[in-house]
Amino acid sequence: MKEQISAILLEAKEQVADSQNEGEIEAIRVKYLGKKGELTAILKQMGSLAPDERPKMGALVNEAKSELECLIADKKTELKSAEQLKKLAEETIDITMPAKELKVGKLHPLNTVLDDMIDIFQSMGFDVVDGPEVETDHYNFECLNVPADHPARDMQDTFYLADNLLLRTQTSAAQIRTMETRKPPIRVICPGRVFRADEVDATHSPVFHQIEGLVVDKGITMCDLKGVLEQFAHEIYGSDTKVKFRPSFFPFTEPSVEVDVTCSECGGKGCRVCKGSGWIEILGAGMVHPNVLRSCGIDPEEYSGFAFGIGLDRLTTTRYKISDIRLLFENDKRFLDQF
Amino acid sequence: MKISLKTLKYYVDINVPVEELCDKMVMAGFEVESIEKEGENLINVVVAKIVDIKPHEDSDHLQICQMDIGKNGLVQIVTGAQNIKVGDLVPAALNDSYLPNGMHIVSGKLRGVPSNGMLCSGEELCLTEADYDGASVNGILILKDTHPVGTDIREVLGLDDYIIDFKITANRPDCNCYLGVAKEIGVVLGTEFKAPVPTYKTVGGDINDYISIDIKNYDLCPRYIGRIVKNLRIKESPEWMQKSLIASGMRPINNIVDITNFVMLETGQPLHAFNYNDLNGKQIIVRNANEGEKITTLDGKEYDLTPDMLVIADGEKPSCLAGIMGGKESEIENDTKDLFLESAKFRRDNVRHTGRALGIRTEASGRFEKGTDIKNAEYASERALQLISGLDAGDIIDGVIDCNKGLPEDRIITVTTDKIMELIGVDVPDDKIVEILNRLGLNTTINGKEITCRVPSIRDDIEGRADLAEEVMRIYGYDHIIGTPMRGTVVRGKLLPERIKTNKIKKLLNASGAFEIATYSFIGSKAIDTLKLTEDDARRKQIKIINPLGDEYSTLRTQLTTSMLTVLATNINKKIKNGRFFEISKRFVPKALPLTEQPDELPTMSIGIYGESEDFFTLKGIIEAVCKLMGAHTQYEKSDEPYLHPGRQALIKANNKNIGVFGEVHPTVASQYGIEQRVYVAEIKLDVLLGIEKRKSTYKPLPKFPAVERDFAMLVDKEIPVGNLERAISSGASRLCEKIELFDVYEGAQIPEGKKSVAYSVWLRSANHTLTDKEIDEANTKIIKKLESVGAELRK
Repeated sequence: MKEQISAILLEAKEQVADSQNEGEIEAIRVKYLGKKGELTAILKQMGSLAPDERPKMGALVNEAKSELECLIADKKTELKSAEQLKKLAEETIDITMPAKELKVGKLHPLNTVLDDMIDIFQSMGFDVVDGPEVETDHYNFECLNVPADHPARDMQDTFYLADNLLLRTQTSAAQIRTMETRKPPIRVICPGRVFRADEVDATHSPVFHQIEGLVVDKGITMCDLKGVLEQFAHEIYGSDTKVKFRPSFFPFTEPSVEVDVTCSECGGKGCRVCKGSGWIEILGAGMVHPNVLRSCGIDPEEYSGFAFGIGLDRLTTTRYKISDIRLLFENDKRFLDQF
Repeated sequence: MKISLKTLKYYVDINVPVEELCDKMVMAGFEVESIEKEGENLINVVVAKIVDIKPHEDSDHLQICQMDIGKNGLVQIVTGAQNIKVGDLVPAALNDSYLPNGMHIVSGKLRGVPSNGMLCSGEELCLTEADYDGASVNGILILKDTHPVGTDIREVLGLDDYIIDFKITANRPDCNCYLGVAKEIGVVLGTEFKAPVPTYKTVGGDINDYISIDIKNYDLCPRYIGRIVKNLRIKESPEWMQKSLIASGMRPINNIVDITNFVMLETGQPLHAFNYNDLNGKQIIVRNANEGEKITTLDGKEYDLTPDMLVIADGEKPSCLAGIMGGKESEIENDTKDLFLESAKFRRDNVRHTGRALGIRTEASGRFEKGTDIKNAEYASERALQLISGLDAGDIIDGVIDCNKGLPEDRIITVTTDKIMELIGVDVPDDKIVEILNRLGLNTTINGKEITCRVPSIRDDIEGRADLAEEVMRIYGYDHIIGTPMRGTVVRGKLLPERIKTNKIKKLLNASGAFEIATYSFIGSKAIDTLKLTEDDARRKQIKIINPLGDEYSTLRTQLTTSMLTVLATNINKKIKNGRFFEISKRFVPKALPLTEQPDELPTMSIGIYGESEDFFTLKGIIEAVCKLMGAHTQYEKSDEPYLHPGRQALIKANNKNIGVFGEVHPTVASQYGIEQRVYVAEIKLDVLLGIEKRKSTYKPLPKFPAVERDFAMLVDKEIPVGNLERAISSGASRLCEKIELFDVYEGAQIPEGKKSVAYSVWLRSANHTLTDKEIDEANTKIIKKLESVGAELRK
């Protein structure tokens, strides 16, 4: 009987090893371990054995049964994972097929750049304020030290809406409104739209954008102005950017300077972008003119301040190397999607 | 102002190369627009001697010349000119040479004969008689003097000058002249500045016997100086003067006119020369023009004058437009015998207004507009007489008539050096400050720390310590300023609440696939008509620009939709298949027209979408998301915007406030923009939407008890909006209603004519217990009842 068990087990093992799928293995289980299975049948023959042989033989059969059960279970697992592998292999996709597009729009490039600037100045403690685009002559010119017969009015061709009303030519008008409503210390920027009667071409637009900055406090100097502009330049153009002041004239600041930064294209060596000079003009600035402080009720003997005006459109076109300012206002989706 | 370096050197020593000079001037506040080297475009043209001339066998006019060009030997050049002979010295453009007119000369063959260059005429070298005698001859320029052959022609012609174009800022009208610029250069380079000291011979007589001067309006003409010169000897002015005029863009005319123009360039003070013999009544009257008066100016044009214009009249009529242009009648001509010379100051705004009104701008009027120095008028007059005398152009009569109501005193500024430099934050030694201010002509003395400046009238831009600070720093050098980081209390800057909210809306719209656009704030005057608005629509009350760039940019917009439609059309025209766009800008709403005060500038948002997957409801979804973000509850009502599809538009109400409209654009409106497909636009009053207070979010516990889902299918009349059904379900389910979802709307087969089938899923839930069958049945019944009450017939 012992030999019989070994023979059955051996035969069953071979069959398990050869089985190809779950169906076959189940058939094998029924054939050997089922109620009418061959090993079960052996147990039924136990009656013919001597009583002292029975427990030994019973143990042998159970051992064979459990060995076979283990084998079958292992085989089943093996077949299952093979099957899964096959299925996964069949499910392989072409990963180079296009994505299911998530359509995402973008800010207009002018506002992308503006948001960067706001972040920079906000972190330096500047509040961001707003001012009207339709201004009075008083705020746009008179208070900014540009009286009616002043030749500086010729510097800006103004769109008039009525005798005394115009489209602001500079965000500097917001300076005055700020100084009238706030007491020093003042630290604000005013971004906004400005208008000048410039014929439209690749570098001129009758509608453009400025960011006006204003600081008024006791003991403010040109060194403070340079410090703030240096920090701004480092954030926008890189930390090794240098800032240079060049004397200039604006009616509402004195002294007035044009501010140049080292050309970010060539690092100051001179290239086509900076026309060989190594410097690029980025903004106008200066110490707030005593007449301007006075017209806002601030005593220029007690307080001083600086102001600067940055051209957002220039900054945007240089940052993205946009060759024609008109593209900013055409709003072709393919253009807007580039930034 | 264009300035000749050669002429400049007459007034100041310049000891550095031109590039360095320009760099230094830029750093002193004088921007350089351009540096032009004379003869820059005249390359490889040399003095050559004709050693042999033979006729060309195949031509009746060409001649073959052998040219001696010095150390490079003989060169054969074929020419068509006939005015040459052996032994002549002529300019020869050699192989690979350039002429100022842009011509590039290379070797070639003329009718088979090799020619290695070209003999040049005066015209080809862009020369006039002022540059070289005989330059205007028709033919080759024959050089007069004996120059060594091979010499560069530029040397022969004296083309070694530089023309520097300085951009003079509006605060420095005193530098619109040689003396002004030269003085600055002297300070910048630390070299000597030499202003001519006028001296001249007179021939006796008394000016009062010749002319009387009467100023009727001292306000517009604070100073008027007159001189008489007899026996004019009109001829060409000397070459140096002509060259200076040409360098600054002026045309030489004759010695008298050229002297007045040259003195203007030199001193900044415009002068005017009258033909004395044409002055009726031997008098000069400076007065406002009379109504209906006319003048014919030097350029032959006639102008109608108005009483706000200042004229220089003789005893009868206007003879000159004050400060702008002389009259034709009293022009200096070749046979003019006697001269009345004017040097005056006119008020700048009057010159500007008259010039603008008549559309005339001259070198003189430009200077008067920018402002001339009242004291300088006398110097300029004297200087002109010096030149007239020196060039023997006439006989100067003794005496001067100088009309003025007193000349201004020097402005005295007293301030400490500390007070000046505290604006800058840089330590400049006191003696350095005094030295710089003195060299700039500001007559400065120091006593302890206190300085006193006597500012002459020519620098009336200097008003106080801020101006002195600038004067010191632009000479001392702005490079001395070292940036200091922001000082003061550490604070983070604040944004206005509107900006914070707008930024959130923009982020949401970007995430929804919409691109932000930027368009002009002004539109065409007719653009509003494309929207077919009724005549009394408030949006037709638009603000007009008085001086627009053109009709296209003439009107401040009261709405953003027309700009949006233009952008949609642009993109559609470029075959871009779909797009979502938005703009946040201002609409300008006048309080009254014509405009008397600042209009309301109201923040507005427009949205425009088009493409295969877009429709009314995708736009509705975007709007709802924006409103929800702002904490507003939206409802929709029928609207009747003429520019929208009559059956596909809605009024948007956020928390019961009207915030705008949206819908499909009316096809006839769209087609005016060249749009022949369905596009959808919204225009939202952001001022109202942003004004809605958003309730603070507080946590609500997530549901603990299960929800029950029930479906309701019904037939209703086609016209009944599903919104009515939704409201019915909501009120029927009452507190238990968690969510209502429309999942089917169907018309057609199996549905009776005039009806539609509508199906909803409704979720019922209680927050504190599992709903009982009884509760659910009750809710069901109520819902059905409510639905039936609005005309729905439930399908079983």
